[in-house]
Amino acid sequence: MGSHRLIRFLSSVLVISIGLTTLIGLSTAEGTPPANFAAFMLRLASVTAAVAVFVGVINLLTVHWGRMRRSERGWPYSLLTVIVALAVLVLRVLDRADVWTGDLKGEQMSERAFEAVQVSLESALASLVLFFLVYAAYRLMRRRVTGWSLVFTGALLLALVGWIPLDGAEVLADAREWLIRVPVSAGARGILIGVGLGTVAAGVRALTGQDRSIRG
Amino acid sequence: MIPDAGLMWAIVAVTFAAMMAGRFLVRRFRIHWRPIPAYRTLPTLAADAVESAKRVHFSLGSSAVGETSTLAALVSAEVVYRLAERLAISRQLPLVTLSHPVTLALAQDTLRRAYLYRRTLDWYRSSAVAWYPAGVAFAVGAASLSADIDADSNVLLGRFGPELAFLGESALRHNQALIAHSDLLEGQAIAFAQANEVLLGEELYAGPAYLGGTALERGSVLAQDVLRWLVIVGIVLAALQTI
Repeated sequence: MGSHRLIRFLSSVLVISIGLTTLIGLSTAEGTPPANFAAFMLRLASVTAAVAVFVGVINLLTVHWGRMRRSERGWPYSLLTVIVALAVLVLRVLDRADVWTGDLKGEQMSERAFEAVQVSLESALASLVLFFLVYAAYRLMRRRVTGWSLVFTGALLLALVGWIPLDGAEVLADAREWLIRVPVSAGARGILIGVGLGTVAAGVRALTGQDRSIRG
Repeated sequence: MIPDAGLMWAIVAVTFAAMMAGRFLVRRFRIHWRPIPAYRTLPTLAADAVESAKRVHFSLGSSAVGETSTLAALVSAEVVYRLAERLAISRQLPLVTLSHPVTLALAQDTLRRAYLYRRTLDWYRSSAVAWYPAGVAFAVGAASLSADIDADSNVLLGRFGPELAFLGESALRHNQALIAHSDLLEGQAIAFAQANEVLLGEELYAGPAYLGGTALERGSVLAQDVLRWLVIVGIVLAALQTI
């Protein structure tokens, strides 16, 4: 118990001192020792993030390998995930080794695979978001009709109908534009100000060593 | 050097002072918080999951430690901890999904600490936290995993874009409860439409206080509310000056 308390104390001291020094470094002129320290810490964070991608891939393979081993529901999808992940890794290694010949010489096959599969799939799925939203608005009205759900559905319908280039329906386009310029913009700013205040409060809690995740 | 460094320090100092004042007040007086339905539902969801021996799916989305959503990730992890603590009396580990690899370590440690606290560390498995590449791939992977484990409910906290729609749709199809938040406006709009309970904007940051927080956490919610009213008064006064 004693060593646990010591670790908690030391981790709090480390977090508070590094956090405050980095903050001071970010608010001082470049070239000064605190600014150099802050730049070093930010570079360290970038390097950690790059290494962490590798950890992420290992986690992906481990999780899905475990699901296959235990024959959990949906394990064939896990098998597919593992095969595709390994195949893309192998493609990337072959790209780096520049093994492609003939028409494929100089090609980055891993990037081709990414563009052919991932980008087109993401684009196709993104186009479905509109239908999800409309259906969600319908469900919202079925579940509970409140003032806010009416506002949401009305705004959604106006935003969608306002896009239709109908003759003589310019008033709808104008209404849509007003909706986006005034209430939507004000609401968005309100939410962002709230998020900003919450972020500052949480940041001060972290800087004072009160966040549990950094206390060990 | 960041611009407006003086303003940044002033905001940090005012927030710190307001939090300390808030902590003093919540220790001495009984403060009634405004009700946030999601925080009333979350403990019930956890209790239901334990009783029915089902799993709960938490997702931190693309909340990233080391980027602009660092604090969203930390607070989301804290909320997950408060609920995982309740779930840790069951062998049914919660599932945590995310799309930022640095947050992976935070999420694994969050679950580990919850099981350590309940002295059930033997039940903890690091594979209960799953990473998927960001974007729609994450949403589809997380949604299918949540469906495969027959999760009782989905709790989405942190940063989500339009991909939240896929998670929401999957939750609906599999008759799972959905509690959602996003600090991005696109995700927030979808969460409002799809979720059973939604956390709006800064309500996420009040989570630790609403789920049995310390005096400082409760004080920081009070400080947040006071600062928000100050901002509102400031905006109204600035608007009146232009008339």
